Amino acid sequence: MEKDPFEIYQMPQLQSPSLIVGWQTQDIGKLGPKVIDFLNEKLGAKEIAEIKPLGFFPFGGVRFKDDLVQVPESKFWACEKDNLLIFRSDEPVFEHYQFLNSVLDFAEHHCHVKELYTLSGVVSFIAHTSLRRILTVFNQPELKKSLQGYGLENMTWEGPPAISSYLLWLAKRRGIPGVSLWPEIPFYLATREDPHATKLTLSFLNRRLNLGLDLGEFDLEIRDLNEKIAERRKEDAEINKYINMLESGLKLDEEEQLKLAEKVYELLGIRG
Amino acid sequence: MGIKLYQRPKLEKPIMFVGWPGIGNIGIIAMNTLKGILKAEEFGEIESWDFFYPRKVSIRDGLLEDLDFPSNKFYYQRLEKKDLIFFIGEEQPTEGGGMYARGEKAYQMANLVLDAGLKFGCQRVYTSGACVSLIHHQMKPRVCAVISSEELIKELKKYQNTILISEIGGRGGGEGTITGLNGLLLAVAKKRGVESICLMGEIPDWLSGASFPYPRAARSVLEVFAEILGIGIDLSFLDKTEGQIEKIIESIYAKFPPEMKEEYDQRKFVAQTKPGTITIQAQIYIDERFKKGGDEGGERPV
Repeated sequence: MEKDPFEIYQMPQLQSPSLIVGWQTQDIGKLGPKVIDFLNEKLGAKEIAEIKPLGFFPFGGVRFKDDLVQVPESKFWACEKDNLLIFRSDEPVFEHYQFLNSVLDFAEHHCHVKELYTLSGVVSFIAHTSLRRILTVFNQPELKKSLQGYGLENMTWEGPPAISSYLLWLAKRRGIPGVSLWPEIPFYLATREDPHATKLTLSFLNRRLNLGLDLGEFDLEIRDLNEKIAERRKEDAEINKYINMLESGLKLDEEEQLKLAEKVYELLGIRG
Repeated sequence: MGIKLYQRPKLEKPIMFVGWPGIGNIGIIAMNTLKGILKAEEFGEIESWDFFYPRKVSIRDGLLEDLDFPSNKFYYQRLEKKDLIFFIGEEQPTEGGGMYARGEKAYQMANLVLDAGLKFGCQRVYTSGACVSLIHHQMKPRVCAVISSEELIKELKKYQNTILISEIGGRGGGEGTITGLNGLLLAVAKKRGVESICLMGEIPDWLSGASFPYPRAARSVLEVFAEILGIGIDLSFLDKTEGQIEKIIESIYAKFPPEMKEEYDQRKFVAQTKPGTITIQAQIYIDERFKKGGDEGGERPV
């Protein structure tokens, strides 16, 4: 592994910014990349640095997904106007501890971040027509208290940690307050995009960080997705039955879940 | 990456007992049991985060309480004649998955364990593991030794039920590999001028892929440890677990067809030198739920 893991292109003028982190590997509902791409575009973020991949990712070939070659990337962007530091990355394969500390080293020592937000979708056994919740994990009770009133739901969980939880834990050790946002994604949209969850997450960030974003375009995406599925429900009694069951709060068995997920996957296509 | 010592006990030329999980968990059961019987006191650890991804997160009512990593802890005890250091690792660090240590991380871990020992003037290290062998499960497992120098042979010969690995037939003059950290530590110790001995309890070849422990072999290893330390230890508390495992093994054995059983039972009377088809055939009778992943470890017949 290289001694200095960063490549810094330019140093922005940030005043104790908030750090937003999203992962683009196996992210449920493509939530992290969608939110971050939207923020970067609308806020005019500048690419400022990257963590060099050697030592963190395998280089025995190349990964491809949806026909496209995937190059591992771990990049920082800055929005000076809104005082935001944004990090979008593939999840490292090796040396997680060093990698996550590198993220925090850059954020803390070069940019003096004041707080951390991580973004990840969580699979939920709800219908796409249901209201989504954002489940949250805080690393300090003070931050939890200060975010009361944002309609966030507290998560309770014991099990293998996601990379966001690992980052949150490391931030806690450094005294950086942080919260992991886990918006619910209906399981049959897990491998696709869920504009509803994306909008919900952006709405929270918009309000919390006073970003002044217009999220109207997501209403069109949500309507489009809902219409596509509604059309198919009319044609396919099985899909309709399963979604009806979910809407009534009933559970689907494993086979039913799989069938519904497959049918929606077919409907929305590879890039849906 | 490093060693964290909570206290610096005064120890005189301590000997180290080191254990990680492996086939049948023979080594780690032996080390943990000895550590427990001797009431060894924890005094340090190797920080886990450089070696392992956390295995569990605890989140309660929206607050991240803690992450749990596999532990790598040092313990000590002063006996009348010998001072002891124990090191118990809950997992072996690996690169690219698998259960047993390999790669740079494993080498670093082995060196850190030894670094800690050398800080206290340690001159000898014991590791333990499984010796995959052509024995019958109803036989008492022997303890097979691999040592860092010939000078240790005489000493090893004194111990009951203990043989050098070369004394087991069909091994091409005692050649083989001890995979994982229980083996790697021997090499690192030898390279750094520390005597090292690996004591491996025999486990029947066809049980080496099973997911359950093999406490029978751990008992054999513990008996030798007791002799080495000149202490008497009561191992009756192992009876219950041993009995439960024996029941599982007997239930698998009961499924063997008569001709297979007959061939296998020969092991009780005639020392076998070749694995034969029984090694593979018998494994078929192990229920799926008792099978471990495909990775191998321990010492194996050539």
